[in-house]
Amino acid sequence: MKHGRDDGYFELDPGPLIRPFAVTRGRAGRDLHDLDIITLVVAVRPEADVAGLDREYGDILRMCSRQPLSVAEISAKMGLLLAAVKVLVSDLISSGHLIYRSPPPPTSGRPDIKLLQAVLDGVRKL
Amino acid sequence: MVFENSDQSAGSPGLAGVRAVKLLIAGGFGVGKTTLVTAVSEIKPLRTEERLSAIGAGVDDLTGVERKTTTTVALDFGRITINSEVVLYLFGTPGQDRFWFMWKELSVGAIGAVVLVDTRRLGDSFGSIDFFESRQIPFIVAVNCFDGAEVYDEEEVRQALDLDDNVPVQMCDARDRTSSKHVLVRLLEHVMALATAGAAAGRW
Repeated sequence: MKHGRDDGYFELDPGPLIRPFAVTRGRAGRDLHDLDIITLVVAVRPEADVAGLDREYGDILRMCSRQPLSVAEISAKMGLLLAAVKVLVSDLISSGHLIYRSPPPPTSGRPDIKLLQAVLDGVRKL
Repeated sequence: MVFENSDQSAGSPGLAGVRAVKLLIAGGFGVGKTTLVTAVSEIKPLRTEERLSAIGAGVDDLTGVERKTTTTVALDFGRITINSEVVLYLFGTPGQDRFWFMWKELSVGAIGAVVLVDTRRLGDSFGSIDFFESRQIPFIVAVNCFDGAEVYDEEEVRQALDLDDNVPVQMCDARDRTSSKHVLVRLLEHVMALATAGAAAGRW
């Protein structure tokens, strides 16, 4: 019980009562990597280190261990606000647990015609 | 025991070359946005939420706004895996115009949008059309032909919405997968046409 405190109180799993921003320790908006709703993330070393992390961090790493997921999907699966998930994901990127790929900034201007064609081809095949 | 894909699970799946793109499905409340997303998505649509300050709308820093009222905006979205490198997300935008600030974030980087309209409530779509026109986001209008709704032809809808001639109008049934797929194909063809015309004109 590493969360023991002087008064003998041991922190139990707080569950959803403290959500949404207690999981980020109040750091709403502290998204250091300018994450987009469709930024994709994937775990660097699946299953590694999960045991030593807070529950939400472990949850994110587990769900991103097999396939890249977007910030939006993580938010939906965890039932947490987007802003809170961005902070948690940002922490895991900073700590080297996750790698990420954000969409290119729209200011680059030039539409990626090859990408558009791939999307069109894919949707036609549905 | 044989482990499937054990060679892959030994390392990170990686993100090299993987791209995510998004399309927006806009329109008035109850027009069938989530229905359309459901029809084409490979997953049951997911819901994500964002809490925003009603007063400090659009302001990222939430410190010091404790006394201001907040509002929670729900976004339903679906996913279509195009191929091993491209994932397409479809976001249904919040129905009410007062959530325009959420659209602002959503629209960044969006490759295009569908404005879904109900001919009985055409006025509900003016806000989205103005939004995409002003931000120069390619869009098409899809008319969701509800059972029992009066059927208008494309020209009548175009005139009623005061659309530019180059904005495609497509009739659809948002409950039907093939029909909804055709809406997306029409949009993507429109996006492609604009992109190639822009490239030919040397805008890049």
